[in-house]
Amino acid sequence: MNALLLAVLTPYLGAALAAWASRHGRLHAAWVAAAVTLIALALITPAALAAFAGETVIHRLPWMPAVGLTLAFRLDGLALLFALLILGIGLLIILYARYYLSERDGMGRFYAYLLLFMGAMLGIVLSENVIQLLVFWELTSLASFLLISYWQHREDARNGARMALTVTGAGGLALLAGFLLLGEMAGSYELSVILASGDTIRAHPGYVPVLILILLGVFTKSAQFPFHFWLPHAMAAPTPVSAYLHSATMVKAGVFLLARLFPALSGTWEWSHLVGGVGLATLLVGAYFALYKHDLKGLLAYSTISHLGLITTLFGIGTELAAVAGVFHIINHATFKAGLFMAAGIIDHECGTRDMRRINGLWRHMPHTATLAMVTAAAMAGVPLVNGFLSKEMFFAEAVSMGTHMRFGWLLPLAVTVAGVFSVAYSIRFIHDVFFNGEPVGLPRTPHEPPRWMKVPVEVLVALCLLVGILPGLTVAPILSVAAGAVLQAPPPAFDLAIWHGWSPALLMSVAALIGGVLVYAGRRPLFALAARWEGRVDARAVYQRLLEALYALAAGVTRRLDTGSLQRLLVLFFASAVVLGAAGLIDGDTPLTGRRPLLPVDGVSLMAAVGLVAAAIASVWLHRRRLTALIVIGAVGLVVSLIFVKFSAPDLALTQLSVEVVTIVLLLLALYFLPQTGPAESSRLRRMRDAVLALAAGGGAAALAWAVLTRPYDTIAGYFLDKSLPEGGGRNVVNVILVDFRGFDTLGEITVLALAALGIYAMLERLQLRAPERDAEGRPWNWDRHPPIMASLTRLLLPLALLTSAFILLRGHNLPGGGFIAGLVTAVALIMQYLANGVAWTHARLPANFHPIIGWGLGLALATGLASWAFDHPFLTSTFGHFDWPVVGEFELASAMAFDLGVYLVVVGATLLILVYLGLMHGASHPTQPAGEGR
Amino acid sequence: MTDHLAIAPVLLPLLAGVLLLLLRRVDIRLRRLLSLGAVVLEIGLAIALTAAVADGDILIYALGDWPAPYGIVLVADRLSAWLLLTTALLALFALLYALRGIDASGRHFHVLFQFQLFGLAGAFLTGDLFNLFVFFEVLLIASYGLLLHSGGAPRTRAGLHYVVLNLAGSTLFLFAVGTLYGVLGSLNMADLAVKVAATPAENVSLVRAAGLLLFGVLALKAALLPLHLWLPAAYAEASAPVAALFAIMTKVGLYSILRVDTLIFGAGAGPVAGLLAPWLMPVALATLAVGALGAVASRGLRAQIAYLVVASAGTLLTAFALASADGIAAGLYYLPHTTFAAAAGFLIADAIAARRGELADRLDPGPTLPGNRVIGGVFFVAAVALVGLPPLSGFLGKFLLLRAALGHAWLAGILATVLVASLLALIALARSGSLIFYRSHGPAPAAPARALATELAPPLGLMLLVAALTVAAGPAAEYAQATASQLLEPSRYIHAVLGGG
Amino acid sequence: MEALLALVIGVLTACGVYLSLRGRTFPVVLGLTLLSYAVNLFLFAMGRLVIGHPPIVSEPAAASADPLPQALVLTAIVIGFAMTAFVIMLALKARAELGNDHVDGRP
Repeated sequence: MNALLLAVLTPYLGAALAAWASRHGRLHAAWVAAAVTLIALALITPAALAAFAGETVIHRLPWMPAVGLTLAFRLDGLALLFALLILGIGLLIILYARYYLSERDGMGRFYAYLLLFMGAMLGIVLSENVIQLLVFWELTSLASFLLISYWQHREDARNGARMALTVTGAGGLALLAGFLLLGEMAGSYELSVILASGDTIRAHPGYVPVLILILLGVFTKSAQFPFHFWLPHAMAAPTPVSAYLHSATMVKAGVFLLARLFPALSGTWEWSHLVGGVGLATLLVGAYFALYKHDLKGLLAYSTISHLGLITTLFGIGTELAAVAGVFHIINHATFKAGLFMAAGIIDHECGTRDMRRINGLWRHMPHTATLAMVTAAAMAGVPLVNGFLSKEMFFAEAVSMGTHMRFGWLLPLAVTVAGVFSVAYSIRFIHDVFFNGEPVGLPRTPHEPPRWMKVPVEVLVALCLLVGILPGLTVAPILSVAAGAVLQAPPPAFDLAIWHGWSPALLMSVAALIGGVLVYAGRRPLFALAARWEGRVDARAVYQRLLEALYALAAGVTRRLDTGSLQRLLVLFFASAVVLGAAGLIDGDTPLTGRRPLLPVDGVSLMAAVGLVAAAIASVWLHRRRLTALIVIGAVGLVVSLIFVKFSAPDLALTQLSVEVVTIVLLLLALYFLPQTGPAESSRLRRMRDAVLALAAGGGAAALAWAVLTRPYDTIAGYFLDKSLPEGGGRNVVNVILVDFRGFDTLGEITVLALAALGIYAMLERLQLRAPERDAEGRPWNWDRHPPIMASLTRLLLPLALLTSAFILLRGHNLPGGGFIAGLVTAVALIMQYLANGVAWTHARLPANFHPIIGWGLGLALATGLASWAFDHPFLTSTFGHFDWPVVGEFELASAMAFDLGVYLVVVGATLLILVYLGLMHGASHPTQPAGEGR
Repeated sequence: MTDHLAIAPVLLPLLAGVLLLLLRRVDIRLRRLLSLGAVVLEIGLAIALTAAVADGDILIYALGDWPAPYGIVLVADRLSAWLLLTTALLALFALLYALRGIDASGRHFHVLFQFQLFGLAGAFLTGDLFNLFVFFEVLLIASYGLLLHSGGAPRTRAGLHYVVLNLAGSTLFLFAVGTLYGVLGSLNMADLAVKVAATPAENVSLVRAAGLLLFGVLALKAALLPLHLWLPAAYAEASAPVAALFAIMTKVGLYSILRVDTLIFGAGAGPVAGLLAPWLMPVALATLAVGALGAVASRGLRAQIAYLVVASAGTLLTAFALASADGIAAGLYYLPHTTFAAAAGFLIADAIAARRGELADRLDPGPTLPGNRVIGGVFFVAAVALVGLPPLSGFLGKFLLLRAALGHAWLAGILATVLVASLLALIALARSGSLIFYRSHGPAPAAPARALATELAPPLGLMLLVAALTVAAGPAAEYAQATASQLLEPSRYIHAVLGGG
Repeated sequence: MEALLALVIGVLTACGVYLSLRGRTFPVVLGLTLLSYAVNLFLFAMGRLVIGHPPIVSEPAAASADPLPQALVLTAIVIGFAMTAFVIMLALKARAELGNDHVDGRP
């Protein structure tokens, strides 16, 4: 029974529930949220009691055990403290928001996001496994994005949300790297192991990088200088969100991690200087800028930054007492800052503005709220009898003692006192400007006290501030010591939470800060003028924006340079890569290019043929802009290629090449009819040079490769085919037997390709109107006369003969050159002749004009032949054959593979005709005079 | 009784395709039913196959009963089954989205779709290099048809580039295969692995050249730098379900690279062992970086997702390039996630574009979409998946990858590239989402009312798959681990194919 | 003879590459056709050169040419034909839809 897991999951379920509940009345969502929070509290109570007794409760659930990623939840003092803050203050926020949100704001969405965030936050503090912790860490970033951008119509909300997401998200990624390495050092991702192996970690050479990566996560999350800028912009969120995120949760996650990993990472020079230094800087920067913010929430935002700096500094100082003080201030800051934000929200709510230059003298209008605000502000300033005073006192004391054993040690107390001065000053400003200081200036509406229950959460918090401030020993001491013990993983040092420690330096510093603060506020005018002059001079946000713009520029630049959308660019890159790769393979190693195989002598005819082919190829390049000529030359090349096949004992190839050649050329001729007859000379000389070089490199590579292989002896699996072809394949023509039997699967794929090409073309050209040119290249008008009678009648006579031939080729293919392809192509050519000679319309009247079924049945037949062998419990495409005695033909051999070949034949005929006839039909359609034939 | 399980996933789509071709005149509803039924059945077969090989068995299917290396054999091992399953699941949701009407907006959609699956299945299962070429051609020609489905000028331009480039690629493929045969005298991959290991000194450089040329082709299919430029245009212009299905296409290239790298040029390849190794990691990281930058630079949502597909190819290759069991396993776990996430992204992008009138998917502030919240919610989840943020499996995949990289010499580079790329993706998608859903003003143009539910169901289904991959991360990662170790012991594969050999 | 064939293959490849790098669709198609000739010859050559012994089983079993590359080339030829047909039709479509025959559709 994993109560902690349930406690973390409850808010997620609650989120869905709240969203759903809001459909049945705005306020339902609020009640659901409150109930869910209470349930979560109840769920952790048993473990909480144990934790309070000082033990560490750990619940595990396997997730990816193989890589040490378990769902492990841990509840010890620190986790308990944070869980209470998250849920307790969460409850107050839920109550507060119910009155804060206006009619226009969707309650369901708000509470759903809030609960998502609450769950993520709980996940962080209750995680035992650091990777799991990171998961929830990033979830808080995502949820805060949704919360901050809640008022999506406002640009500042959108930008603030994106900024928060980017900064904290980036930190999270650094944290992931840090945790990975940390886990590697400690040998586990489990905190209990990591916290126990602090010495190992600190001694590890990778300690510093890990520390830096983790601190990046911490500092971005906790808005530490110089990453603090996102926090003020997050103020665009509804005030309840700010009150939650910037008092007890979001930003506290960072310092929580500092506390959590304190035993593992702290106690080194790097730690104290990085953490302490950054903390101190943040403390000062925040306190200084807070004073000058005219926006109420802006002031609170910077004071939050400053107080987080204070906490960070405490952990940086690194002594046990400092850690205790750090935890203590976490509690105090959470309480008074939540109260302050709520008060600010009330004021904003009542006045319709947050500008302290306009909000004045509210004391008369809302004394009750004013009183509450004053107490919390006093806590923020560190006035005695309120909780803020105690932790600040401890902070001063630690600063002093730290300063005593440091060079320039006196600087530290001085710095923190200055920070104290400013925090007093801006606290006074918050009170005096808002509640006194004359009359309101042109407020949209006259302010008055808010609804009763809207103040209750603030009152609760104020009560806490006072109780802790006056009776610390009775109230906060126990939980503090438990939490501190968990942080230190050791019994906490003796600390005494008294208001009066006698005349200690810390007290003097506090007094100095109070007096100084009053003076600064009194003399604020010149300071404001000064600050106004420096406005925007030093702005971390501007740096961030510039970085972002630089990133966009870089991305756009790189992408535009690479992706020009030019096909030539694609091909050049491709061919170049191929050349480089091939060369890298060939050149490497000292193996000779030429092998030891005896060569064949060159005979004159071959020489002539080769010379002719080379000449033709080059000519086709030379003449490529005169397209018809180039095409004819290419045809010649194809013919010579088929001669080469004849020469080197490949009759099947020769026949195939020849028939494919015919069909291809016819096809290209028909196509050329729709294209410009000549091409422009447009590529620059430079480009032509580049292409030529690339072409020569590629050609050289291909030739070298061919030569290298041709001159080498090799042993192949070919012998097997020659042996088995007749006895087991039932055919003498080994090539055909390979095609339909040994490698029939290739053929199946190949006819599929052919069929798909035809279908694809058909689908592609559908509804496409091609316009035929009125005149040819030389400007002669095209001739629409009837087709030449002699040729027409001749082809009609030839057709049966051609069909007979193809049938013959098909049948004998298994034993002599021939087979499905060649037969199919011959048939196709014969029929195409009819179209060419007699025209599409005439032929259509006499031939089936629809070739889809032919293709379909062809594929089907091939597939069926293959499947048939299943019936005989043989693998797909297993062939069988037998000898039959036919009357006329005589002893005849029939192989099942022939049925397959018939399928091939059908596909070839169907596909070829579909392609060509379809194009022919477009001719028909494009002819002004002739009627368009029906396409299918 | 011979077991046909290994070939069934290949033949089923072929059969369905042929039937759909013959029945092309019957009522569209019937054809849809047939197509859908076939895909569902294909999922069943893929699951059965995965179950059959899960415990390490390698199924061999000798076509025509001809023994390897002479005949063609299909080889089903853990890797093939894993990719087959991913493909089948992806296909289901791509098809469901298409059934909303896109399939009727042009001819032969279902035929082409089924033949595409035929080509994919064959490519994943074949154990013969030339047969692999043939299936590459099948899936390419089918993809040409699908890409151009229901036309449009920009689509035609993208299609022309895609087709021409791949034709050049096929040529190179043949050069590579031919050289391998010319030197080693075989086409069966297991047999090649054996023969490669015994390459005599005078042939080493030829084998090297052939191997690298082969890598070149596969890199083109996998869209690796600098051969990635075809992808953004093609994917951004394809119709949504097609783009979604294409999410698996680059994975075919990566699969083949992984197969060839581990089987033929693995540690046991004697003189040419580790031939590809020096190329993989640099190419992978560069691809990842350029993909992420492209996503930031994109002006349209679909192009942005397409660039994220490029980035994911880089991520996967990074994992494979680690060449360790952990690394490969990380990649194999991440592969289905990134495939589903990208597919969901394309589908949602289409749902968005359809509601923004002229603006389509351009990343400019536009009108408020009808159903803004719902679509926005789905987009948010998909974006989290695409970036690889917690809690979804993308994060787990990256975690596994980085964890596997810990020992690697390039650790710093890998950490930096992967994490920064994630950040870039985050920035890019946060910007897009904010532009489309938040910075909207005014109502949408009177677009034809579209059924939101049927439109968002497929992407949501894909997200559910991602969620399942997250919850069941343990078993999934274990399977990936087992697959990786199987790949790193090619001897078992070879033995299974060649018998005693 | 081998040198001659290697030369032919090289020239065909070079011309094919050059043409396929042109800016208009038609020469690109021609270039791809040349490339397919080249690769078909190359693939064929991988079975080495044999004169006068077609791979057809005759009674006195004689050493004949390697049939496998021939089968592969036959497959390659047909696939090549299908692809050429597809790309040329696509070129027509592009011309009709993009208004010109430039590979990028820009005049």
